[in-house]
Amino acid sequence: MNQTVAPEPKAQVAARDLILVLADSKRLLGTRYAEWILGAPELETGIACASMAQDEWGHARLLYALLKDFDEDIDRLEHGREPHEYASIELLDRSPASWAEFVAINALVDTALTVQLRALTESSYAPLRQRVAKLIDEERFHEAHGVAWSRRLASTPEGRSALNEAVQQVLPKAVQWFGLPGDDAAADGLMAGTADDLRDAFIAAIAPVLENVRGTDGSAGLDFESFDPRTRRTRGTSPDAETIARVRGDKNRAFLMD
Amino acid sequence: MVYEVFARKSRGDVLKHVGNVTAPDDELAKVYAFSTYDEEKWFDMFIAPRDRWVEVFNRYEPASELGIAAAKPRKAAR
Repeated sequence: MNQTVAPEPKAQVAARDLILVLADSKRLLGTRYAEWILGAPELETGIACASMAQDEWGHARLLYALLKDFDEDIDRLEHGREPHEYASIELLDRSPASWAEFVAINALVDTALTVQLRALTESSYAPLRQRVAKLIDEERFHEAHGVAWSRRLASTPEGRSALNEAVQQVLPKAVQWFGLPGDDAAADGLMAGTADDLRDAFIAAIAPVLENVRGTDGSAGLDFESFDPRTRRTRGTSPDAETIARVRGDKNRAFLMD
Repeated sequence: MVYEVFARKSRGDVLKHVGNVTAPDDELAKVYAFSTYDEEKWFDMFIAPRDRWVEVFNRYEPASELGIAAAKPRKAAR
């Protein structure tokens, strides 16, 4: 076993699971961003979607590569899994149906992933710790894009109500995604802070977005009944097959060289 | 609003005009400038709204002040 892998088997499993959750979520997020390159309300924001998609795909690539240390087959991880094997955040299972939903995903899901990354800057698992700073740096403008667009939507009554509805839909799952209260990944030194600490950090980070919607503070009751702590998803749910076919790059397999 | 975008490769270089973006406010203009012109490894980047530019002079007087009529549109071919 590679010496950079944390020695405790339980900590190894936790590190592997968390890296896969982040990699899959970033790959799906990049795909959702890419879907709006041509449908965005103005040229510049379409370009921003393209740029954010590139960042997320790059981050996913880098995170998948880390899983080599856990004896994972990276090619299978990236190109060979079925939808039910994905550990991406549930909120990305479907394409956002409107620009307001897209903005809610951009502002909340992207920020949730970044809050999780920030908790890894002091991780006991060195390969992860060494890479997150670069990822976090590249995320700066993703957050700014989400905040600026939520303000812009909120500047008209119609936009405000659409944003409000989208945020109410997205927020509970985003808050839940940080995992079970009392999760001991923090105790293993894998990350700084417990799931509840990260939830607090997340709510603080999205304050500029929540300012633009009514009566939402993210403190709604959490329901973990069907929650799988390893994938951070509701058991029995998955992205749809068409999305995963695109994420895997099925149509491009013929061009892959050995 | 149109914002002009300026950047430089290293500290001490002169700022180079790299292009422009259209955005409703400074906040989005910053995001758009970054995502549109981030291909190169810039040291820093600035934006300025075009309508705040103050002209010092130019060497070309407007045609109207020289008494020259604007060119007439060509007749469509029959």
